[in-house]
Amino acid sequence: MSENVLIELKGLTKRYGYGDTESFALKDFDLTIKRGEFIMIMGPSGCGKTTLLNIIGLLDRASRGEYILNGENVAGISARRQASLRAKKIGFIFQNFNLIEDLPVLENVALPLVYTGYPRTARLKNASTALKRFHLQEREYYLPYQLSGGQQQRVAIARAIVSDPEIILADEPTGNLDSRSSRIVMDELKAIHEEGNTIIMVTHNPALTVYATRVINMLDGHIDTDVKTVADQNLPQPISVKIKKKSDSSTEEELPKPHKRHKSRRKK
Amino acid sequence: MAMLLRTHFKLARTSIKENRTRSFLTCLGIAIGVASIVLILSLMGGISNLVRSEINEIGSDLIVVRPKSTKDTLDSIIGELTSANTFEKSSLTLSDISAISKTEDVSAVAPIAISTNTIASEKNTLSSVSVLGTNLDFIKIEPLALRYGAFLTENNEENSVVLGHTLSLALFNTINSTVGKTVSIMGEKFMVVGVLDEIDQSISFDNVDFDNALIMDIKSLDKITGSTQIQQINIKAANTDSLAKITDDIKETLTKQKLGDQNFTVAYGDNITHPASSLFTIVSGMLTTVAAISLVVGGIGIMNIMLVSVAERSHEIGVRKAVGASSRNILMQFLFEALILSIIGGIFGLVLGYILAFIISIITPFSPYISWEIIIVSFLTTIAVGIMFGIYPALKAASKNPIDSLKHYR
Repeated sequence: MSENVLIELKGLTKRYGYGDTESFALKDFDLTIKRGEFIMIMGPSGCGKTTLLNIIGLLDRASRGEYILNGENVAGISARRQASLRAKKIGFIFQNFNLIEDLPVLENVALPLVYTGYPRTARLKNASTALKRFHLQEREYYLPYQLSGGQQQRVAIARAIVSDPEIILADEPTGNLDSRSSRIVMDELKAIHEEGNTIIMVTHNPALTVYATRVINMLDGHIDTDVKTVADQNLPQPISVKIKKKSDSSTEEELPKPHKRHKSRRKK
Repeated sequence: MAMLLRTHFKLARTSIKENRTRSFLTCLGIAIGVASIVLILSLMGGISNLVRSEINEIGSDLIVVRPKSTKDTLDSIIGELTSANTFEKSSLTLSDISAISKTEDVSAVAPIAISTNTIASEKNTLSSVSVLGTNLDFIKIEPLALRYGAFLTENNEENSVVLGHTLSLALFNTINSTVGKTVSIMGEKFMVVGVLDEIDQSISFDNVDFDNALIMDIKSLDKITGSTQIQQINIKAANTDSLAKITDDIKETLTKQKLGDQNFTVAYGDNITHPASSLFTIVSGMLTTVAAISLVVGGIGIMNIMLVSVAERSHEIGVRKAVGASSRNILMQFLFEALILSIIGGIFGLVLGYILAFIISIITPFSPYISWEIIIVSFLTTIAVGIMFGIYPALKAASKNPIDSLKHYR
């Protein structure tokens, strides 16, 4: 069981400011994430979702507490070691895609491999394989602005998985996309998850929680509810109404997506 | 590591290509700095070569005695430059010349005593003319060609003079009928017995511009001016193989002559050019400093443009860090870009400098001097400038917080 634990957070606290301006993005946050989970983190703006994601992604440091990644306490490691772990073990997907505009799609995807020491040909080959998976191999030499939002996000996902990371972190990956593109992106994430990858995703959209195996609702820097939605991936259950109400800050349009229809389409 | 360097190189190339105008202008700043340094060094090298080649022309059998400067330092050289009469208190005397001429293997000894006098002819009166006092041996050592007439001879040495080409023109407005006429120096009359041919070399180891000089017997000069300062004694060795031994002999003779006072130097070969060379070293040093300032300005241009680049590419830095770039990777990326900018500028500058030097060599007598030293020095300088002015923007880029940088939308 414990071998299956990927991430363990103990008493994680992130404080901003001092004295009068002191505020906590995270306060004594405990969380254990097992390998293969698809976790969705929800909650109102400013509840610490993104901070949590940044700390898990080793982009940020907690003020206090332990972060055990793969059995190693990484809370106090050097910035250089952080960078090296980011390159090898973590894949980021952002709301605004965060592709480098000056680089063609293929090189954007190959970017993490630059910092893990792959030779150039191997980098481009791996990137090309990753793009092929997302049906974008014909657009390898396009620049990001020449692609649609959905395509850009798929490029970003390809970049996130190209170095075969342990965790994929997604910060509102569908936030900037229309419903159709959102569905495609979510399907890709689901497919990646089904291959055994661990995904932690922040979202405002309760409708997306159908994809998750576990939904965590955050409020003011701590966990409000932590619900395991399904044990069996083939039978995702709708989310409880209770959670829906809690995420009152959700402003995004609902996805008009009956899950079953989509599922059947995929099977074709 | 080497692989990452190649990636950095490629990235820098892409970035420079993308901002073509900006990169070109930045390179231009460096290029101008490097070009001026290369220009100065190559011209100075050309001048030094010219001096050296003159020594070679005269022959390898030349030994030169000079009064010793109080100290052979920068101060004394600058002092010599600013004082009206160089070697104001010469330690060399006429009796030294006869002493040297008795030394073994010495075939000719000629003093050089330059003073400045007013000279009058039937037509013109010129002030501040260089008057060179020497003896009959002079022509044996310095092979001056005569256009008309002859050099001083034993029969006429006391009351005869030889005029330089340009001086003859200035005094008599002619060169072909000058011989036989008289000039007066401080009331004494002398007959012109010869006119020198035009000399195309602008610099000589004697520090005399023969075109504008009047040559006369040193004893006569001593008589009319009262006190003559011998600035140099030129000695022709009979045997070129034992220059060092002859030099030592002369040193010994002079030391004995001067009762142990070693206030003179004896030089042969390359050492002869030393006073002239050290003067050029000072001048070229000062000019190079000025050029270096323009290089610094170019460097500031690099720093400026790199800071702009870092600010513009905040987002890219954030993305790179998020996907696993360490601060060091980012530092290297931007440092490389600065370095490549300055190296490109340096290469442009090198080419530009030599082109300018060649253009100048068309108008002036010396040819530009190209050496590996100059190329290596300018290359190393540009690398130093690139690192010096690239490190701050690169550090700034490296220290960016990835979370904040990712929020930078363009």
